[in-house]
Amino acid sequence: MKRFLSLYSIEQKLALRSCDMLIFGVFMPVGILVLISVIAGSKMAGEGYTYLEGSFASLIAVGVCAMAFMGIPLTIADYRDKKILKHFFATPCSPAVLLLADVLCCFVTAAASAIAVSIVSVVCLGYRMPGNVIAFIGAWLLTLVCMFSIGLMIASLCRTVKAANAVTSLVYFPMLFLSGATIPYELFPTGLQRLAAFLPLTQGIKLMKAVSLGLTPDSLWLIIVLLLGITVVCSVVSIKAFRWE
Amino acid sequence: MNSCIEVSNLTKSFHGRCVVNGLSFQVHSGEVFGLLGHNGAGKSTTIELLLGLQKADSGSATILGLNAGKHRKEVFERVGVQLQASNYQNAIRVDEICQEMAALYKKPEDYHKLLKEYSLEAFEKARVDKLSGGEKQRLSVALALLNQPEIVFFDELTTGLDATARRDVWKHLKDLKKKGTTIFLTTHYMEEAESLCDRICLIKAGKKLIEGTVKEVIEKSPYGNLEEAYLWFMGEEVVQ
Repeated sequence: MKRFLSLYSIEQKLALRSCDMLIFGVFMPVGILVLISVIAGSKMAGEGYTYLEGSFASLIAVGVCAMAFMGIPLTIADYRDKKILKHFFATPCSPAVLLLADVLCCFVTAAASAIAVSIVSVVCLGYRMPGNVIAFIGAWLLTLVCMFSIGLMIASLCRTVKAANAVTSLVYFPMLFLSGATIPYELFPTGLQRLAAFLPLTQGIKLMKAVSLGLTPDSLWLIIVLLLGITVVCSVVSIKAFRWE
Repeated sequence: MNSCIEVSNLTKSFHGRCVVNGLSFQVHSGEVFGLLGHNGAGKSTTIELLLGLQKADSGSATILGLNAGKHRKEVFERVGVQLQASNYQNAIRVDEICQEMAALYKKPEDYHKLLKEYSLEAFEKARVDKLSGGEKQRLSVALALLNQPEIVFFDELTTGLDATARRDVWKHLKDLKKKGTTIFLTTHYMEEAESLCDRICLIKAGKKLIEGTVKEVIEKSPYGNLEEAYLWFMGEEVVQ
C-alpha cells in the first residue's frame, strides 16, 4: 500500500505538471458553465428546467470524458511506448501497480473537475439540485466507471502512441460536442439527437441529467443496464487485448 | 568459482527467424562479463530471456539459481537492471524518478547517496529530459543500483556517448566491480570490453563464437588486439 501511494503521489504530481489535463478536464467545463449561465442561465431549456439546471449534469461529465478518452489511453500508450511498463517487469513490483496509480490519478482529476463545477454552480450561480444528490453521485460513478473501461479498451487496442492519439481524438471530440456535455442536447435537431444517442457518454449524461432533475422515467433502468453492459464488455476486451509492450 | 548466471542451450525465434540459437555460457560471481556482437546479433534478446521479460522457446537461463520469469519478486530484489535506451515519464525530475523506483524495493539504498556518488547531486531537482547523455546514463546506473544489487545488467550503457562521458561511466563501473558487484554488460565497443571485462562471449546471429578472458580470445586469433580479433571471429576482413 505504501508502495502504491508513493507511486500515486509522484504520478499525480506529473499529471498536474502537464497542464493539458487541467485545462481540458477542469477549466474548460467551468468556463462553459459560466458562459451558458451568462447567455441563457435562467431561460427554460425543456419541460420545467432552466439551461443551468439542464447543463449542470453534462458539464460534470466533461472531466470524466477528458480523463477517460485522453488521460487514460494517452498515458498508458506513452508508458508502453517508452518501455516504462516493461522496465517494471525487471523490478519486484508488478507494472499493474503503476497502471492502477495512473487510473487513480485520472479518477482524482475527474472528481476535482466535478467538485469545481459544483462549487461554481452552487456558490456563484445559485444552482440547487432538484434531484437527490446521493443518487446523482451514484450516476456519476457509474458513468465514470463505464467511460474509463472504454478508455482502457482504447489503451489496450492501440499499438502505438500515434494510433492512440488518432483514436482518442476521434472518440473524444464527438463525445465532447455531441453527447450534450458541452453544447446542450436540447439545441440539437432531432436527427442529430438520434445519432448522438449511440454515444455511450450521451447515455451516461442522460442518466445523470435525469437524476439531477429529480426525474425517474422508466428508461433509466435501461440506461443503467446498458452502461453496466458496456463496462463489462470493454473491461473484458481491455484485459484480453492488453500488451505490456 | 561460483557461477551466478547460467545459460544453457537458450533458443528463441521471432516469426521463424532464430535470434538466439543454442546459446550457453556462465557468469561467475564478482566478475564483469561482456556479451559482444553486432547490432541485431541477439544481445538484447539474450538479456530479456535471462530476465524473464521474454519466454525462451527452449533451453534454460537462471540468475542466482532462479528462473527470473517465475521468481520475479525474489530475483529483482537482488538484481539491478538498465534496459537499452531507457526512457522516463514526461517532465519527471531526478528526485522523483529515484523516489518512484526506490518505492519498489524492500530495502532501497538512500538515493541521495547514490546521486552524490554519480556526481548528480546538483541535478536532484532537475528534469530528467534536460540532462545530457552522459548524465542520463549515470542516472540509469544509479537507478539500477537502488536495491543494492548483487548483479547488475547494463544493455548498451554507453552507446551514443562521447569518449569523455564513456570513460566516466567506465570509471564508475570499475568502482562498482571493486565493491564485489557482478556486472553483465552488452556493448559493441571493443575498447570498452577490453577495459572493463574479465570475460567476454562473442555472438553472431544468436550463436556463440567464442567465450573466455579478453587475453584468451585475442590469443586464439592471429591478431594482437581485441578489435581485430573480434572482426576475425565475426568472419570479416581486417583492414590493415
